[in-house]
Amino acid sequence: MRAPAAALRDWTGGEPRLVLTVCARCGNHWYLPREHCPVCGSDDTDELVAAGAGLCVAVTHVHVTTEAGAAPVWLTLVELDEGPVVMGRASEGLAPGDRARVSFLPDGDGLVPSFTREDDR
Amino acid sequence: MSALLSGVGLTAFGKQPGPDSVEWQCAAADLALADAGLDPLEIDTVITGYSTVSPHLMPANVFAERFGLRPATAFGMNVGGATGLAMLANAARLVEAKSATHVLVVAGENRATGQSREASTRTLAQVGHPTYEVPLGANIPAYYALLASQYLWSHGLGPEALAELPVQMRAHASRRLGAQFQKPITVADVLASKPIAEPLRLLDCCPVSDGGAAFVISRAATSDRSLTIAGTGQAHRHQHLSALEPGSTGAGTAAQRALAEADVTWEDVDVFGIYDSFSITLALLVEELGLVPPGRAGAYVRAGAFEVDGRFPTNTHGGLMSYGHCGVGGGMAHLVEVATQLRHERGASQVAGCDVGYVHADGGVLSAHVGVVLRRRGR
Repeated sequence: MRAPAAALRDWTGGEPRLVLTVCARCGNHWYLPREHCPVCGSDDTDELVAAGAGLCVAVTHVHVTTEAGAAPVWLTLVELDEGPVVMGRASEGLAPGDRARVSFLPDGDGLVPSFTREDDR
Repeated sequence: MSALLSGVGLTAFGKQPGPDSVEWQCAAADLALADAGLDPLEIDTVITGYSTVSPHLMPANVFAERFGLRPATAFGMNVGGATGLAMLANAARLVEAKSATHVLVVAGENRATGQSREASTRTLAQVGHPTYEVPLGANIPAYYALLASQYLWSHGLGPEALAELPVQMRAHASRRLGAQFQKPITVADVLASKPIAEPLRLLDCCPVSDGGAAFVISRAATSDRSLTIAGTGQAHRHQHLSALEPGSTGAGTAAQRALAEADVTWEDVDVFGIYDSFSITLALLVEELGLVPPGRAGAYVRAGAFEVDGRFPTNTHGGLMSYGHCGVGGGMAHLVEVATQLRHERGASQVAGCDVGYVHADGGVLSAHVGVVLRRRGR
């Protein structure tokens, strides 16, 4: 089992990448940190840096924000080519059914993943 | 031995300034005890839902002291919108195990007038992942809007498909005393309402409300109005949207566990109370439960399937979208309504000859699921 502290840093730690976990026993892939594979229970896992491309399956334009007066934000769910679904910001015009690719934008002190239509790049 | 639902209490929901959370809880508890015909001192167990306005380490003790109870067992529970039905499921198990005689389950909150909209949205955003989701600018409407976008795209539907659901909820609420919103609306009204998190608009979303709800769960019937808690089932497969398995959120699993325990099938169920925090919530739940084919919730509603005289009379009080949503108590109102229907006390909106009801609640982003089958005694 990997110690959490030894995990590859991803965008939440300031590194411009999406990191997935792969179960060494059953091959299940997932995105959010987990200690055990929820399918087979194994804690024998490997990390994989995602290529960053996939299929956009959902987009929302969020008008109601948690801070009064904050600007509306576009969010998306992208099903990565590796399998897991990832949430990110979206560039305007991205729509479900589009191929999408991630880039990382500065936000406050850190980075956030933002997806753009692949043929717009 | 099955536990009995001996009493229910439901206050009006709406913007009702004045009472704080524990005072709403006391109001609902008074109604439920009167309904059960019980004296407060007959209650030996208290289970209490959380309040986002007044978070506390020990909500059941705070409530019990204020109400004037000294129960043998008291605890609070937190599984989001599923908390009310989860409290009922645990109360039923305590009674079946003879660890309790009469359990009071209670929740109430001044969510509408006790805090700002921004504070409410921020508290509820905790449902999202603190490092992977919330920093993107996500909040509860956004999570459900993403599910709505995926649903509409994958079934080739426009937003009018989901707009049918709040229209039906409002029609029900127009005939229910105590509902927060009673003026009928149309699909055009929903589509023209203020965008919240597109494709969801204001009328696709439940409001926040002040109010409370309570149940009494008992080992023996306290009157011929007591109902049998025939089955309960739960499933907890993820917390965050980024870990949700599409089409297998746990809703269907929880329902099948409840139906199996009650030894009934959907064919036997006459009346439904299904969690409806957003139009998309209700659509996804009725489809994963298997009541309606995938992508067809709007079409079924338009055809009258959720009406009082339809095949699946659903949320005949108006649901969260129109009766209102005061937090944990919001998800309990569905069960109060189904119980009222099963007692044949719903007057002009009575579902004819109903004997078996099913109630489903979800917490988080379709994260925590609880299903409950209620039955008229002797049926």
